[in-house]
Amino acid sequence: MTAQLPILTIAPLLFGAFAVTAGRFLYRRANYALAALALAAAFFASVLLAVQTLTQGPAVYFLGGWPPPVGISYVADPLSALMLAFVSGAALATFLASKAEIETSYPLKNSAFYALFLLAVAGHMGIVITGDAFNLYVLIEVAALSGYAILAQGRERAMLASLNYLFVGSLGASLYLLGVGYLYIMTGSLNMADLSGIIGQMIPGGLSGSTALAAAWGVILAGLLVKMGLFPFHSWLPAAYSFSAAPAAALVAPLTTKVMAYVLVRMIISLFTPDIAWSVPAMNTLAVVLATAAILYGSFCALAQRSLRKMLCFILLAEVGYMVGGAFLGNRAGLTGTIYHIFADLLMTLCLFLAAANIERGTGGRFSDMGGFFRRMPVTGAALVLGAASMIGVPPFCGFFSKWYLLTGAVAAGSYAFAGALVVSSLVNAVLFFRIFEIGFFGTAASPADPADPANPAEETGHGHAEHVPFFRDEMSPVRLAPLCLVALSLVVMGLMTGQIVRLVVDPILPPGLG
Amino acid sequence: MHELLTEFANKFHYYGYFAIMMIGLYAMIAKTNLLKKCIGLGIFQTAIMLFYVSIGAKEGAGIPILDPAVGTADPAAYANPLPQVLMLTAIVVSVATLGVALALVQNIHRDHGTIEEDEILKGLRGK
Repeated sequence: MTAQLPILTIAPLLFGAFAVTAGRFLYRRANYALAALALAAAFFASVLLAVQTLTQGPAVYFLGGWPPPVGISYVADPLSALMLAFVSGAALATFLASKAEIETSYPLKNSAFYALFLLAVAGHMGIVITGDAFNLYVLIEVAALSGYAILAQGRERAMLASLNYLFVGSLGASLYLLGVGYLYIMTGSLNMADLSGIIGQMIPGGLSGSTALAAAWGVILAGLLVKMGLFPFHSWLPAAYSFSAAPAAALVAPLTTKVMAYVLVRMIISLFTPDIAWSVPAMNTLAVVLATAAILYGSFCALAQRSLRKMLCFILLAEVGYMVGGAFLGNRAGLTGTIYHIFADLLMTLCLFLAAANIERGTGGRFSDMGGFFRRMPVTGAALVLGAASMIGVPPFCGFFSKWYLLTGAVAAGSYAFAGALVVSSLVNAVLFFRIFEIGFFGTAASPADPADPANPAEETGHGHAEHVPFFRDEMSPVRLAPLCLVALSLVVMGLMTGQIVRLVVDPILPPGLG
Repeated sequence: MHELLTEFANKFHYYGYFAIMMIGLYAMIAKTNLLKKCIGLGIFQTAIMLFYVSIGAKEGAGIPILDPAVGTADPAAYANPLPQVLMLTAIVVSVATLGVALALVQNIHRDHGTIEEDEILKGLRGK
């Protein structure tokens, strides 16, 4: 049983997707339970795998019993096992929190949405655990294709935004595939561990030893940055995430950019090894400059937004800059910061998008409609405050510690522009969220609760000043609040456990000599 | 000049795939018709498939299906099958991508009555 754990994290989702599709014609009402069960099974297996990996060391699973380099292997080391647990936990929380939302946003297409949701999660988890460079491409496309389909449902612009995302996303994945082709020409292998050994022998002095391998790394990097939405390649991201229905955005926004950043880290650590991946100074400088530009651009564009979700999308762009910049500072602190920030940002984005989904449902989500929402939805408001504090970087929250590592790395590497951008972005985040707090505390709730929900008893009393609005008037049901509160609390827990996470997860996978 | 031509003749498939890839990229960036963008994406992906299959080719080698007369004794008699197998998977992926893209284009046409991106955006701004 324990030997099969790596595959058991993915299998329930794939079978669940098929079962939901088949169940559509048999017994439609069981579909939600079936999908939730599949997600819970995947989460359970991932947590078990993480515990097993941390106590007994890394595990490698050969698909179909074919050993590498011929077969595809699934590699569970501390980093990938913890990432699996985070991804499946985030998916489960989103799924449980948005049951009602799914039923109203996707009328008559529930089963299709559940199947696509499960496939998207399976794709993202597969990307995390696979040890095969070509398999990674296929799983990127599995995750992305189901993502395009669920993001396309929404407001009238959602289709066009999703199609543009499809063009850019396919372009990025194709570039990655091209890079893998160059790797294959030079090494004759596709298994990452095998590739790493061959590359290390072939060019011990760095990428200047082989133009083809340098081209491979460059093209792979370009593909990943396009998929991640780093600054010059970002235009698809805010549109695709802000016009879609809320559950799709709450699933895809925390996962896709973070999983792609994970692939970047995986490429640096496990495929090229840091010494070789950082051996072209111009490439590192370019990546850090782009990251700095992404942070500044995302932060300042977020200031100009008039709705909560759109603002979060631009903050997401800035966060991508954090992760890319840290990965190319060329020192241990920077890379540690990037890895820690992948986990921290996954939780922060999830918390904020879930809170935004609740606020959107309660008030409409434009700043002008959100007046007094702390009184109307106090629990959601509290979760939003926790998420915002973490995003700003207030000490006990996890957002502070990743920024601390990144700043240390930036100063050690002498990238003062990047360090400055990190500080500016924190300040801008503070401005952004305190503006929302001001609206939430002091704004007046003039509009009735939810025009789409005539059953709301408080609707007649909704006109007037904030003090006339009863507490909890627009608050969501406990089913939606419980996952949100858990995620919000986990921000503090993760912040307090920073030392253990770095010691148990980050340190074992970084090469010992890395300064 | 002679060296340059030899260099080109030895590596012509790289130049070929790159030229095709750029044609696809041009179509994706410069065209406003969404269907033409889909075609551009198809050309882009096909160029990469061509690249992969071309790197598995060898002079004098046949298709990678076991020939009873040759057996497995002489690997040089067969083209490298692995890139071809990988591209079978990539073809499936690209068909699925194109399918999703065409479904989206069809829905956009239903909602907006056109598949010209600038006209759709003009219509959205007008509302």
